[in-house]
Amino acid sequence: MSSLSNRFHSTLLQTLAAVAVVSVSLSQAVAETRTVESAYGPVQISGQPGRVVTLYEGALDAALAVGANAVGAVITRGGSDVAEYIKSEAGDIAIVGAPAETNIEAVIAAQPDLILAPPRINQQQVALLSRIAPVVASNVPMFQPDSWERETRLFAKAMGREAEAEKVIGQVKERISEVAQVVSAKIPAGQRDAALVRWMPQGPLVMAEGLFSASLLQAVGFELTDKDLVKEGRPHSEPLSLENLSSMDQSWVFLATLNEDGDKALDAARKSPAFARLNAVQNDQVIGVSGQLWTSATGPLAALAILDDIEAAVNAIQP
Amino acid sequence: MPDKRTTLANSSLLVLLLLAVITSLSMGTVQVPPPDVLQALMGNADPMTAFVVNELRLSRVVAGLLSGAALAMAGCLMQTLARNRLATPGIIGIDNAATAFAVASVVGVGLSLAPSAMALAGAACATAIAFGLAGANGTRGYRFIVAGIGIGAIAGAVTQVMLSRVAIDAANAAYPWTVGSLNARSGNSVLVLAIGLAAGYAILMLISRALNTLQFSDAVAIALGTRLKATRILGLALSVLLTGLAVSVCGPVGLIALLAPELARTICRPGKVPLTASALAGATFMVAADLLGRTLFSPLEIPVGIITAIVGSPYLLWILLKPSRRSLT
Amino acid sequence: MNALSPTSAVASRALSLPLIAAGLLLFLIIIASLLYGAGPISASEAFMVLAGSGSEEARFVVSELRLPRTIIGLVTGLALGLAGALLQSMTRNPLAEPGLLGVSAGSGFAVALAILFGASTATLTSFVAQLGALAGCALVIAATRVQGLGNDPVRLILAGATLTGLLLALTSMLMLMDQRAADEIRFWITGSIAGKPLSMLQATLPSILAALILIVIVARPLAAMALGEKAAVGLGHHPGRIRFLIVLTVALLVGSATALAGPLIFVGLVVPFIARAFAGPDIRKTLWLCVPVGPAVVLAADVVSRLIAAPAELPLGVVTALIGAPVLLAIVRAGRMPSL
Repeated sequence: MSSLSNRFHSTLLQTLAAVAVVSVSLSQAVAETRTVESAYGPVQISGQPGRVVTLYEGALDAALAVGANAVGAVITRGGSDVAEYIKSEAGDIAIVGAPAETNIEAVIAAQPDLILAPPRINQQQVALLSRIAPVVASNVPMFQPDSWERETRLFAKAMGREAEAEKVIGQVKERISEVAQVVSAKIPAGQRDAALVRWMPQGPLVMAEGLFSASLLQAVGFELTDKDLVKEGRPHSEPLSLENLSSMDQSWVFLATLNEDGDKALDAARKSPAFARLNAVQNDQVIGVSGQLWTSATGPLAALAILDDIEAAVNAIQP
Repeated sequence: MPDKRTTLANSSLLVLLLLAVITSLSMGTVQVPPPDVLQALMGNADPMTAFVVNELRLSRVVAGLLSGAALAMAGCLMQTLARNRLATPGIIGIDNAATAFAVASVVGVGLSLAPSAMALAGAACATAIAFGLAGANGTRGYRFIVAGIGIGAIAGAVTQVMLSRVAIDAANAAYPWTVGSLNARSGNSVLVLAIGLAAGYAILMLISRALNTLQFSDAVAIALGTRLKATRILGLALSVLLTGLAVSVCGPVGLIALLAPELARTICRPGKVPLTASALAGATFMVAADLLGRTLFSPLEIPVGIITAIVGSPYLLWILLKPSRRSLT
Repeated sequence: MNALSPTSAVASRALSLPLIAAGLLLFLIIIASLLYGAGPISASEAFMVLAGSGSEEARFVVSELRLPRTIIGLVTGLALGLAGALLQSMTRNPLAEPGLLGVSAGSGFAVALAILFGASTATLTSFVAQLGALAGCALVIAATRVQGLGNDPVRLILAGATLTGLLLALTSMLMLMDQRAADEIRFWITGSIAGKPLSMLQATLPSILAALILIVIVARPLAAMALGEKAAVGLGHHPGRIRFLIVLTVALLVGSATALAGPLIFVGLVVPFIARAFAGPDIRKTLWLCVPVGPAVVLAADVVSRLIAAPAELPLGVVTALIGAPVLLAIVRAGRMPSL
């Protein structure tokens, strides 16, 4: 009798298990078709796209942050591969073009289920790419302090991984408050004004207040303003005349190049006598940062990397 | 009257062109064997292959073909008119002006027309200004060319300042228009180019006899019954028009106008103006250069203007430096 | 410029008025260059520095920023003006201009190549620029001689324009290969004397001095060559050798100027044009006048470049093109091609 009921129990369990498995996979297969608002209108996507091609650094960052399978990316501005900070996460990802020119054939070769595109992509390209896979172009305005957050959420929605996105965004926000505490501990209030610039021989380029890294600096407690030198919608100003450096009298200067090692930027800038007169230089409060990360990248992983940079720099300050 | 050598030359060029076209349609990041290419062209292939061949590659190859032919013909014309193998429409600043206008459109300065339309407008402007400044002496002599150089220089400077003052993203987006690329073409401009090319070719065939006489001195040409001024003006107008239309499709690929006619002159019977051969040679160059640019460093693309510059420079230097024995110096 | 003789005394007298006027003008422009800038230091504050007092910041701006810049502008203008005059006299072509003939483009390409390979030391750039200028010069001259283009100015310009177009395309190619270099090259190639260190000037000084010595040597034979080759030979000169020396001089001058300021077009055209208008056809007088006029033109353009787009600055190369091209067109429109 017990063997019969045992067998019945085990069969029942097996059946229940089978039903559970089937219903779970059914629910994934017959997943909701959701509508994502992209820059070129609503896009229908269902389920979690298995292969994602990103035509934009921010998209790659977001995709990797939420654990999607990114199979194609564009090279970073000024480099010949994806950005340094994300290389290990990206692994051996296929390159499908450069920021200005997407190689559509390479996109086809990557066999994507979803394509994430930058805000500035043109209509013709979107039309062509849509024949391969659904295209979601970011419709988030750029150079606002919350741009990266909104973009990450948008892309996550396209990828069907909204929960993961919220988790990662929460992680970043936690990190921000951690670093903010380090900043307020190490740097007295009133000495936290900073400038984020890129140095050219003819003079500095002041980065926009709303630039990704600039907004992070502000979030952790630095006071950053571009003093209206940067026009609406532009990432940075025109090169200021060297005679105007007196207007750059902030206590802290974060110095970046287009893509290289921040220290090289520092060396190059030091050759200019005008540079040596800056307050920040005289107090040894100039921090060289990587341009790839600080002026080109955007997204949750980039945020974490930049915050690490800031924390390391602030911790290294001699009290 | 077609003679044997010219016919042979033209046929060989045509074959070469077809080869280049088929190769270009089949090669790329996605390899499509030639038989499949033909199938796709006839509509009998799977959707992805058809997409790659017909939509991505075919339109690009056609654009390259047409613009190469137009540039080459324009160059050939200009060289005949100026009696100098180095003359190209670019001399009167068309290329630079077209670039300046197109770049302005891309980086968001001024009118918000498409870059192609702006490029055409730029070419037209440059021509008009050059003509206006050259005054009564018209197309021969100093003033026209010097005016063109001045215009070209101003346009070049304006382009430089635009590029150096915008964010690097916009500068990158404008870059193809400064070197010549088949990536940024628009369907409309290709269509207009096709029409212009066909019409131009027809007209030129009609006046080919007159063009042939231009190789001699003015006096001889007039003695042979050519209406010199009319022929010159027509020739110049066509040359400028063809270049303008071509530049609006592919940007400033200046070397084609120098190299293709030179090649044509080498293989055709001397003494005739090799318009057809130039067109075919130009088309082939363009298609081949674009193919190289697409495949050499795949997946990154090298713009066609740069390929022609790299490959064409040694040849061009050789032309500049070798003593000329031809009637057309 | 040569030994005293009755003719040269007469010549000097006729020249002295324009020379003094030009010198005066240059002096004024130099003062302007020290007084005006794109920053908050006003002209009156700068003037106080010149007078001996003034705030610390004003003193810094004037002595560390504007003064080196002025000196560099002076040398650049001198070099380009003289190079243009020499080239035009040698080719007997009033349109022969180092910028238009591909000499500047050659220099520019060479420097772009160097930037691509990471060069940044002042000496290397200067040497490379001169090498590039020499190559550009040699090519154009070779092209004209081979093609028998001797007397037709148009053909020379065509050869030069072709060469320039070629070199610019190749420079574009370099920019494609490396974005970091592209960014630097992009700014450099528009031509500017902002932020250039005096050490760069030191690197080019030997070449400039050598060039000046060469000019003294070739001035007289060059004047003789204007009478025709046979006449020159008859007077005991060697035209071939002289041409070689002139090409060398032009290369040294243009190379130095390009190393200092990037490729500047039209300066070598405008300056000799102005000089010839007052000096007449004698190359020696023209060269003398180019000495003050060249720097005056470049510095004036530089001052304009500072004032037009404050707080940023317009690159010098743009201003010289925007000034020079209409001058060129005006020459064309007026139908006056000054004879050589």
